[in-house]
Amino acid sequence: MAIDTNTIRHLCELSKLDYDENGLEKVRDEMSDIIDLMDTIKSFDLTYDDTKDNNSIKFSETREDAALPSFPTEKLLANAENTDGCYVVPKVVE
Amino acid sequence: MDITRAKIRELRKALDGKEIGAEELCGEYFKKIKVTDPKLLSYITVTEDKAKEMAAAAQKLIDEGKSSALTGIPLAIKDNICVEGVRTTCSSKMLENFVPPYNATVIEKLNAEGYVLLGKTSMDEFAMGGSNQTSAFAKTKNPYDTERVPGGSSGGSAAAVSASLAPAALGSDTGGSIRQPSAFCGVTGIKPTYGRVSRYGLVAFASSLDQIGPICSDARDCAVMLNAICGQDAHDATSARVGVPDFTAKLGQPVKGMKIAMPKEFFSDDIDNDVKAAVENAAKSLEAQGAELVECSIPGLKYAIPAYYLIACAEAASNLSRFDGIKYGFRGEGRTFEELIRDSRSKGFGEEVKRRILLGNYALSSGYFDAYYKKALALKQEIIKEYSEVFELADVILTPTAPTPAYKIGAQDNDPVKMYMADICTVTVNIATLPGISTTCGYTAEGLPIGMSIIGKRFDEQTILQCADAFEQGFEPVAPKL
Repeated sequence: MAIDTNTIRHLCELSKLDYDENGLEKVRDEMSDIIDLMDTIKSFDLTYDDTKDNNSIKFSETREDAALPSFPTEKLLANAENTDGCYVVPKVVE
Repeated sequence: MDITRAKIRELRKALDGKEIGAEELCGEYFKKIKVTDPKLLSYITVTEDKAKEMAAAAQKLIDEGKSSALTGIPLAIKDNICVEGVRTTCSSKMLENFVPPYNATVIEKLNAEGYVLLGKTSMDEFAMGGSNQTSAFAKTKNPYDTERVPGGSSGGSAAAVSASLAPAALGSDTGGSIRQPSAFCGVTGIKPTYGRVSRYGLVAFASSLDQIGPICSDARDCAVMLNAICGQDAHDATSARVGVPDFTAKLGQPVKGMKIAMPKEFFSDDIDNDVKAAVENAAKSLEAQGAELVECSIPGLKYAIPAYYLIACAEAASNLSRFDGIKYGFRGEGRTFEELIRDSRSKGFGEEVKRRILLGNYALSSGYFDAYYKKALALKQEIIKEYSEVFELADVILTPTAPTPAYKIGAQDNDPVKMYMADICTVTVNIATLPGISTTCGYTAEGLPIGMSIIGKRFDEQTILQCADAFEQGFEPVAPKL
């Protein structure tokens, strides 16, 4: 098996995801099959050269560093729950 | 004549010639959506009231003689493109009630043309899938056979156009999500060159691969749509500083002398025989018009699936870390900050999205980064090099769009690896940042559409549109029977 339960638990920590025990076993088996597929890339023997990337594309020019009008606060908070003019989260500091 | 089967340019003439009004036109589509869409589930949200207002404004422009190509044209928009004030779900419980406070740049551009919004179309959750069956809300069905998938992730957009529930739609393509559903649903879809269309307001999946593009009934309508949505945008640092040509300019020009490469790896035993035969017949048809077929090779295709999934999922893991249940989106429960975030993400995301986040974090995590993520980037460089070498010999590349026609719903539900392998014909185009168009080139004995892809040089959408159009002019499409 390409991946064990402890590794899956570690990935869940990194990903902020929870599974129950059955779910954890199921996703471990699925991820093992997926990692087996990803492992085929290891037989490719070239190395990444970061000096070659995006040299030929001219992306947007950065604009002048000036303050511009932004979204009104109430518009940005419209999709948040329990707002009182700010984002509300559980108490962090005891 | 059923007006809903008309192409954009025919609708333009009908609107400008006062054969039909903009409100009446969108009303015809809503009538059809009410009757047909319960069988297909292509729309998540239908915007009838908003459409009436937009149509009235469009009619005013038409009456004043100020119409442009898309004034009064009803369009469907994939549900990962933000429309201010209209629920945008990404087919995820996570965004079930999310109402964007701003428009995507493509929507601003369509607004400037005076388009009419029919609604938001279903998709695989966060654009992760090729069947539309990972949608949390509307698992769209194929108009040619409702027991089969429409493809994905822009399956709702492709099914809506195929069933004449919209004359055209916007989709997004990260690894084939415009082209593959276009092939499965018998319509034409183009993924523009990376950087050609602003991604501002497109909910991000994999930022180095995502690109918005149109799905239409043919290449000519795709060109009209591209004219409206392309261009550099200050809101998107990866939108390219290149001129935007008239994408209709080369339509109708003969393909005599055009060199068309057919990489042998795309015609292997892994490709369905009906698909291979249909694409090869299409190549012969183009050859009969004077094009020259060129043999070539893309050896890197062998590693394309792991390279694509490692890059895409690594970026997805980062992009989707913004969904914490606090600022917007589904909010779970928890006594602490950490518990709240974990519960929101665990209950808000579907299984496929969670798998991809886990894979992305695996590829990026300490001890695995060089072996997986950096190796995938090396592959990306190799695939770009191999495509460049082919384009020294040819003007365009011709391949199947998918290894098979549309498959039965449920056939790949429990097998993520099989689902990932089905993307083999499309992902390298995104990896190499190239434009690609899929158009129908035949039908199976069961009447299912088969798609072929024409891939172009970077920023040369004009030539692939020309080539697709040249084929379409001699091809008789068959509409689905619904």
